[in-house]
Amino acid sequence: MWLRQPLVVALAWLSFAATASPAQTPLDTGGAPRDARFEATVAEVASSLRCPVCQNNSVEDSPSLLAQDMKKEIRQRLAAGETPDQVRSYFVSRYGEWVLTKPRAAGVNLSVWLLPILALLGGALVVWTAVRRWVRRSASPRPATETAPAADSGDLRARRAALQASLLDLEAEFAAGRLDARDLAALTERDQAELAAVNDALKQLKKDTHAVAPAAPQTATSNPMGVWLGRLGWVAGLAAFALVLVLSLRGSVAARSEGGTITGGTQVASAAPVEMELQQTGPLDSLRIAQLESRVLRDSTDVPALIELGHLYLAQGLLDKATLVDTLAIRLQPDAPATAEAFAHLGMILWSLGQTDGALKALDKALYLSPEFPEALLYRGIIFFAGLQDMRAAAQTFEHYLAVAPPDANTARVRAMLMAARQAASGQQKQ
Amino acid sequence: MKWQQWAIPVSGVPVLALLAWGLTRDARIVPSPLPGKPAPDFALATISGDSLHLASLQGQVVLVNFWASWCLACRAEHQVLVDAAKRYRDRGLRVVGVVYEDSRDNALAWIKERGGDWPNVLDVGSRTAIQYGLFGVPETFFVGRDGRIIYKQIGPLDTGVIDQWVPRLLGTDGPTAPADTFAEGRSAGHVRLSPDFPTAGGTVRRP
Repeated sequence: MWLRQPLVVALAWLSFAATASPAQTPLDTGGAPRDARFEATVAEVASSLRCPVCQNNSVEDSPSLLAQDMKKEIRQRLAAGETPDQVRSYFVSRYGEWVLTKPRAAGVNLSVWLLPILALLGGALVVWTAVRRWVRRSASPRPATETAPAADSGDLRARRAALQASLLDLEAEFAAGRLDARDLAALTERDQAELAAVNDALKQLKKDTHAVAPAAPQTATSNPMGVWLGRLGWVAGLAAFALVLVLSLRGSVAARSEGGTITGGTQVASAAPVEMELQQTGPLDSLRIAQLESRVLRDSTDVPALIELGHLYLAQGLLDKATLVDTLAIRLQPDAPATAEAFAHLGMILWSLGQTDGALKALDKALYLSPEFPEALLYRGIIFFAGLQDMRAAAQTFEHYLAVAPPDANTARVRAMLMAARQAASGQQKQ
Repeated sequence: MKWQQWAIPVSGVPVLALLAWGLTRDARIVPSPLPGKPAPDFALATISGDSLHLASLQGQVVLVNFWASWCLACRAEHQVLVDAAKRYRDRGLRVVGVVYEDSRDNALAWIKERGGDWPNVLDVGSRTAIQYGLFGVPETFFVGRDGRIIYKQIGPLDTGVIDQWVPRLLGTDGPTAPADTFAEGRSAGHVRLSPDFPTAGGTVRRP
């Protein structure tokens, strides 16, 4: 019966949660798919599937080639009349349940849904029993203040004996004729009331001693060491638990910084794809490109404009144009430190064209002009890492990069490559 | 009423156990549902202009190898495949390459440079890759005589893996090995690079 109330609350909470969660969007597969609705379904299915070549990204959100192909497959299957669940099942049959961004609510997975509810019920139980105990303790009749300020059972028993003796005395006084009937009645009533209160207090004390033996004040006075050790144990245990939680969850709970990884920058040795994401290019870039182009047209020796153009062209994948402006800048100022950036661009372009030697030469030149130019270090490291597979040189270069480059979107990935390079280097040594 | 004193610490034990289990697992190891199932069939154009239907190889032991010319790990692996194809050809091993996210010209140049006389098909749109639950290249599926996938290799093959599985598959005529020998393996420490890498990185400008 005591359980009924929290149970009702929990059930009410549950039913609220159930109605609050969004229902599955139904799709009418009959008839011609209305475009917007069809696309919404495609997007819904794509975001419920994980991209296999990414780190925790959905097919909908990933720009990778495989994810785009998967989205095409989703679209074709939906257009052919399959339901979203059938499409999902197809991918599960190929990739396993891993491919679902939201695990199915069945089997062991159910614990994900049930454990929080169990924890909630357990917590409610703890709170309910604690509150019940507090209420009972504060509502218990306190012995009259003037008679028993101390709740000690010895005092109470002594007081009880005294009262009982006093009642007997009153009888004797009355029998001896030293007390009239009215006084006897009043005094007897007073003593009996106090006696009842003392008895109640004794009973309560007995109950409490059974219920919360260690918390009773007499234990506190008789064995304070033990109590303090116990409390210390609790504090230490809770602190250790909190430490474990904070350390293990810090990375994953932190808001993801722009360009950060799911591990929140925590170093992970990764055998997973090392991908550099495209930098955001947008209308602002195009505007800037137009500005710079007109500057260069007016003055073809404007080296800073040429180099910035090289950067923007590269970001947009316009390798030919980037090569042109960077070569121009290099011809104009072959030995200026600022030209290091143009050499770094060229190194990157050559590497992407498969010309490893040329790329390394360009990057070395960039580092000669500006020894700590971060991008030159980064691409030099990448060439050692992915091209020449010289893992020790790669690790050294990445370390240098991380030491000189301010943290940005690439930092986490470079760290991952550094870890992989170190691992591979130690593997190479063993062989 | 003693139980309340124990309830909280005791209920912490499963939580800690769950954390200890979850935090010491490698979340990147994903078991594939495919080993033990029939190899998904495909009929695709080869890079040399023919076409190839996987079902036409039914009854033979086939290595279905997914690769790409931009894939670094595939370089080392290719030599292993050339060698395996040579050594086991007489006993009936067939190799089929599936070119993943790559062009016909790149694939032709690769084969011309590095050898290999087995058919390579072009998987335009990655439909076959998806059917095989591909996570990246290289991956290789060992198909038994009954057309079922017996072993899946994630990452580059080495001679040890070939010699562990191929003789076993070649030796079996009827329905292949019992179910508990279906497996998948992963080569250690290989790094996959995406085809967009590294030019997609662009450059960073700092003031």
